[in-house]
Amino acid sequence: MGDIVVLLKPALNPEMIRGTQDGSVDFDYMPLKLSDIDRNAVEEAVMLRDQYFKGSKIYSISVVTWGPASKRDKDVKMAVQEGLAKGVDEAYIVEDDSIVPGDPVTTASAIVAVIRKFGLKPDLILAGEATIDGFSGQVAGRVAVKLGLPYVSFARKVELKGNSIVAERDVEDYVEVVEAPLPAVVSVTREINAPRPPTLVQIRMASRKPQHMVKLSDLEGVVTPKRRLAAARVLAVKRKQMMIEGKTLEETADKLLDALASEGVIKA
Amino acid sequence: MPTSMVVGSSEDDIAEALTVARQLGDAVIVAYGNVNTGSLAEYGHKVYHVKADDPESVFLAVKQVYDEVKPSLIVAPTNKNLKDALSRLSGLYDLPMATEVFNVKVSGSSASYTRGFLSGRALEDDQVPLPAVLLIAARKVPRAQKSQAKGEVVELQASPTVKVIERRPKERGGVNIETAELIVSVGRGFRSKEDLKLAFELAEALGAQIGCSRPIAADLKWLGEDHWVGLSGHKVAPRLYVAIGISGAPQHLAGITDAKVVVAINNDKSAPIFKNCDYGVVADLYQFVPVLTKRVKERLHR
Repeated sequence: MGDIVVLLKPALNPEMIRGTQDGSVDFDYMPLKLSDIDRNAVEEAVMLRDQYFKGSKIYSISVVTWGPASKRDKDVKMAVQEGLAKGVDEAYIVEDDSIVPGDPVTTASAIVAVIRKFGLKPDLILAGEATIDGFSGQVAGRVAVKLGLPYVSFARKVELKGNSIVAERDVEDYVEVVEAPLPAVVSVTREINAPRPPTLVQIRMASRKPQHMVKLSDLEGVVTPKRRLAAARVLAVKRKQMMIEGKTLEETADKLLDALASEGVIKA
Repeated sequence: MPTSMVVGSSEDDIAEALTVARQLGDAVIVAYGNVNTGSLAEYGHKVYHVKADDPESVFLAVKQVYDEVKPSLIVAPTNKNLKDALSRLSGLYDLPMATEVFNVKVSGSSASYTRGFLSGRALEDDQVPLPAVLLIAARKVPRAQKSQAKGEVVELQASPTVKVIERRPKERGGVNIETAELIVSVGRGFRSKEDLKLAFELAEALGAQIGCSRPIAADLKWLGEDHWVGLSGHKVAPRLYVAIGISGAPQHLAGITDAKVVVAINNDKSAPIFKNCDYGVVADLYQFVPVLTKRVKERLHR
């Protein structure tokens, strides 16, 4: 069996959002972390390797969307090291200030450029269904078509059968079982597995695994970003956060219903 | 020559997308799956139809029309099949693509739009050069009007490489949670499927629809996905949202930002939902919800 490539995004951490004075997203403040669903992709890569691809290697590819490198480098390496700790063998990181802020056009073309430049021969390319910052779920499909490979999106179960994968995918109106010949690109949902946290030994080993830093000048065919992010503003949802307490549950219920009635949302 | 292309599988979706696409002039329609092409032809645009609805077949059909028409703008609803199909078209030609967009404006050689960002905690305003692929958010624009002229209908064929071996329709309870005025929503605080009846009884007393968090629909499958509220489920905008036994993961909160009043009932006083609600009750739902239901019934019939 060939190798596995897993796509890992150091994504802006939405839980650490902060606004500037005028309500714009304060990008400088927000740290990056490994995008949540990418953890499921790594876990699946490790499980499939252990089951079907004994002796194969798992490579990760990350393209840095949010710069500048001088500020983000530490977060990027932390996110990638999480993948290495979980079982990735070697990591490729495309970090170049000339392509930030990036977009899916750039990310997909850079991933394909890395695969070609470093002669990776994956039988399987795994990605999360979407990332927690942009959440548009399009990079895996772009990579598949650029490499001319079959693509299975929203997979929540993957098995190998001979030289094919059989996957259960969760599309709009149906759950479908599909079969695709390898090599193939698969995007996974959170339901596919329960990611195991790496052990201390794995975390210690991770820093010794190869991390290849790649510049734009090392690659061919990378398309510069087409999306111009004109503005990003924090969505301020102000909630009252009033805690309701009573001496008895009946009193609590009544106080709550009084409040809702005075808001005009119920008549009770 | 048409300058835009609309893709979809229902007349509602296609009529909304047409409203956006017509900003640029004439359009063509690519319809897939089980849809009434005769009715679509009444919008006055040429209709291409592919019977299959799997993402790869839709991509192959869309590509065929794209290569022929070379539109500057591709507009479609946001759904999983089209995220898949159109990401392939976008990848093939390095087109910019965005999902869940609204406030779309097209001028000259570029398009601008707004969309959710950072798991629903922010909005981004973007500008992209044409040609571009835009998957629009549902119900943000009116439906386009039909026209006097009738468009031609052309059938397309597609031969995908990914074989569909089996397909199971998703459970649909006939609810439209996105338009519900009142929602009682359930989460992992419920210990079994049977216990959800506590919430059903409250919902019935209030005249509310039932919503749920991701684990209830996606992992445990106690409820169908049409009840699922959140970033990957449905975005809701009720005047009252009652979250029972829901901790308040960011992805869930992203689905309720448009709710007018949010009530949280949870036994864990440190649950994030309490920082994101208007009224919070720290209580064991098994004790409190029946009392609340009883008081709602009594007060409504005073």
